[in-house]
Amino acid sequence: MKRTAAVSALALLTAFGAFSAPAADTIVFGAAVSLTGKTAKEGEYTRDGYNFLVDKLNETGGITVGGKKYKVSVKYYDDESKSERTAQLIEKLINEDKVSFILGPYGSAPSGTAAPICEKYRIPMIEANGSAESIFSKGYRYTFAVLSPAKLYLKGVVDLVLSKDKNVRTVAVLGENEPFSKEVASGGADYAREKGLQVVYQELYPSGTQDVSALLTNIKAKNPDVILGAGHLQDSLLIVKQARDLGVSPKAMGFSVGPSSPEFRDNLKGSADYILGATQWTEALKYNGDDPWKTPKAYAEAFRAKNPKYRDIPYQVAESSAAALAFWRAIEKANSLDPVKVRDAIASLDMMTFYGQVKFDSRGINVYKPMAVEQLQPDGRKYTVFPPSVAEKDAIYPMVPWDKRK
Amino acid sequence: MSSGELGQIVVNAVLLSGILALVALGFSLVWGIMNIVNLAHGAFIVLGAYVTFFLHELLHIDPFLSIPVSMLVLFTLGWILQRGLVNQVIRAPLLATFLLTFGLELLIVNLINFFFKADLRSVTTGYSGAGLTLGPARIPYARLGALAVSMVLVAALAWFLKSTRTGRAIRATGMDIDAARLTGVKVAAVYASTFAIGAAMAGAAGSLLSMIVPFDPNLGGTYTQRAFAICVLGGLGNVANVVLGAAVYAFVDVFVGASWPSLSRAVTFAILVILLIFRPQGIAGKPA
Amino acid sequence: MRKGVAVLGSLLALGLCLALPKLVSSYRLLTYTRFLLLALTAQGWNFIGGYTGYAAFGNVAYFGIGAYTTGLLMLGRWHVPFFPALAAGALVSGAVAILLGLPILRLKGHYFAIATLGVAEALAQVADNWDSVTEGSTGIDLPIRSDGEFFYYTALGFVILGVLCTAWFSRSKLGYGCVAIREDQDAARMLGIDTTLYKGLAYALSAVFAAVAGGITAYQNVHVTPGDFFQIDYTLEMIIATIIGGAGTVAGPVLGAAIYQLLSTYVWGRFLELHPTVLGLIIVLFIVFLPRGLMTVVGRRRAAGERRFRASDLLANVRAHRVT
Repeated sequence: MKRTAAVSALALLTAFGAFSAPAADTIVFGAAVSLTGKTAKEGEYTRDGYNFLVDKLNETGGITVGGKKYKVSVKYYDDESKSERTAQLIEKLINEDKVSFILGPYGSAPSGTAAPICEKYRIPMIEANGSAESIFSKGYRYTFAVLSPAKLYLKGVVDLVLSKDKNVRTVAVLGENEPFSKEVASGGADYAREKGLQVVYQELYPSGTQDVSALLTNIKAKNPDVILGAGHLQDSLLIVKQARDLGVSPKAMGFSVGPSSPEFRDNLKGSADYILGATQWTEALKYNGDDPWKTPKAYAEAFRAKNPKYRDIPYQVAESSAAALAFWRAIEKANSLDPVKVRDAIASLDMMTFYGQVKFDSRGINVYKPMAVEQLQPDGRKYTVFPPSVAEKDAIYPMVPWDKRK
Repeated sequence: MSSGELGQIVVNAVLLSGILALVALGFSLVWGIMNIVNLAHGAFIVLGAYVTFFLHELLHIDPFLSIPVSMLVLFTLGWILQRGLVNQVIRAPLLATFLLTFGLELLIVNLINFFFKADLRSVTTGYSGAGLTLGPARIPYARLGALAVSMVLVAALAWFLKSTRTGRAIRATGMDIDAARLTGVKVAAVYASTFAIGAAMAGAAGSLLSMIVPFDPNLGGTYTQRAFAICVLGGLGNVANVVLGAAVYAFVDVFVGASWPSLSRAVTFAILVILLIFRPQGIAGKPA
Repeated sequence: MRKGVAVLGSLLALGLCLALPKLVSSYRLLTYTRFLLLALTAQGWNFIGGYTGYAAFGNVAYFGIGAYTTGLLMLGRWHVPFFPALAAGALVSGAVAILLGLPILRLKGHYFAIATLGVAEALAQVADNWDSVTEGSTGIDLPIRSDGEFFYYTALGFVILGVLCTAWFSRSKLGYGCVAIREDQDAARMLGIDTTLYKGLAYALSAVFAAVAGGITAYQNVHVTPGDFFQIDYTLEMIIATIIGGAGTVAGPVLGAAIYQLLSTYVWGRFLELHPTVLGLIIVLFIVFLPRGLMTVVGRRRAAGERRFRASDLLANVRAHRVT
């Protein structure tokens, strides 16, 4: 009995802690991103993207609401790459830190967890890194994504290959079993079939797989013209590495996530050549937006000047900046800090940015911005190769077989 | 399944068993001798991988040549951790030591994450991706080398435990700590050596893995789980059991992976559980 | 006299617990709800891990089964109300535990641990791939209920029930039998204890508790995926909470859950990137100085001639468990 008393006394100890209210002329955005755990690297991209935009915003004086300028800061928490933590942290941001605007986490799984919580409290969230349509099929009204939906990721790769080679017949698709990659894989396979290709292999492997040699051995026996991979950076690295080990040499290999990160070449060196990567954004794209930088190139240069550790800028950085930019515009458009009014302003947003068009369909996802395809080429650089209207260079096709390389 | 595919799958399984044997070797030693299930084992593997990575990146040392260095580093760390920490609680209830190593794992992995960041790394050398072709099957040199190194280390440990004074003291302590103490064995020191050797083996495994898979600070968890499963499969007690356990695990894993990729873990574990039910002491372990 | 104080104290504590939602912010209430849910899983684990001495390493499986059963029943064709759905989840979990327990409870020590771990991993993957029922890795979304007090009181009610249940268990024939099994299974059998039955019941009890916690968590979190609801971290947390508090004691799991939850929440707020490191350090220090849990500090009964805990006992703990 006394023990029960001890327990409750202990619980009450921390019950009455005070929390500090932010200064009245600052708008605080809340974000729970991965800083440790499986997607810590991508979480870092996300945070750097948010911070870059917020710094710029503050340099220009801040967000104007009702004739008054507000500075912006972002309150971050680490979700440890676990979406179950995300739920708790979003609750913390909304209820304890009293933020009225949420910048999304990294990944579809945590975004899917955050969405109903934002819905619960009627707090708008603009996310930049969760493109699974399952998040947007539930009718949530407070969640928006600036990026193109998952099922479109591999479309460009298929189109590119078909534009290069009329004789392509067979495709193998392998994907990680998690919400985003699952949609990428089925979207890619469906599109390939639609274009008359034969999908000779389609499998999902469990998240966190450390060895795909079994799958690649199966694929090798089918000898497909194209291999499409839907996973994350680690999976893409593993697939290329083991495909080379096992001598699996298709005419083209394309991935949804991976090739756009600088780490892709750092890890694979020469094996990275000719690999195709789907991308939401590259600095070679030709947009002319209404924002402080206007063009992708100017954005990229400004970003590099501030973050010299980036040689290449992964698209996750740009889309995260775009999400924060959307909040900026929407709050000014609403001319209010009321979350519900800002939500309506976001829903009706239609703007051109350095990142491309930002406009949301009735579900809240940005279906208006196209995807692009990049290729790593033997000169050690990465080029935007598709669609042709923005291509910097022609794609090299087919890829040089592994045994013909140094 | 064509015969070519089958050949490659068998080759994959053989290559995997080699590396897994080394992964499980230190884990099995520590568990068998001290009755500690060391959840920090995976963290030691990751540290080994980083040692090799940095020696290769900064000093251009061939990954195979850096194995002794990473073993030495991990041996020292293991010794210090055992003397300073684990020895302090070794007679506490089983789950306490279990949690201690869990805390250690959290600590080490996140310190690595803090200092080296979450970037994915791999050691890519001139011979990465090269290999020999044996009929329809391909054998990458790096994996073949890893298999050879594993076998050498497994044999070396077996010899050490059997034929050296320290090795015999370790085995004696594992069988009966009080009897060992009576014959003048310094138990604390023996435990420290055991744990240090276990860590050194993990370090070597990490060095080899750095050539085979891209890694980040979180690589270790899977391998701790695999080591656990291998020890259970093979049974504790001697080095040969580890090799047997690793081989069985690798063959099951590879064949299941080739047949039902999306359910591979479920099927592998189902097989493991069923095997355990019928042979609770492991395949080669002596009945309790 | 002393008894009067104890009764008064616990009534006061109960009153405070009941009034808490009116006193704190809704986020703090959520933190307490999380603590209660962790306490619930720990209480469950305590039956099999604490009293019976079986290192169950896969209890998250029952947490997940509870979450999915509750969720799918609430959605689905039938739109079952929450509490009946929760009860169904508990029943399904208990039944699965008995079925699985029959073969795997024959295993001992670490072998039992890996078998339970394997079962949990296998179930997670089944949930991941059984798209027609669980929607696979995409997950399901439950109806939204934003009323934080509801979850707090529900969890509180179950934890109180759990304390009563554990108190009854520890004095019952079943409880004594389980402790006997923990101390020496063969001797227990010799005394005429039906070890299979007792172990099975303790295991099923632990599954029921985990399932209830899983169902409540699912309803509160709304979004349920196999990746979240079958992750090994839940198993680890319930074990940590029990060990920190004191395995095989009535109040230990609740106490341990409170400490663990409050500490980790505090550490999050303070250390952005280093928080898992700090948490690891705390666990290590805890095990070194209090390897048998906090109940060895607060659970002493002076009536039974035990003296008060002194700081020097921490060092004595180290001395008692070290090897030289």
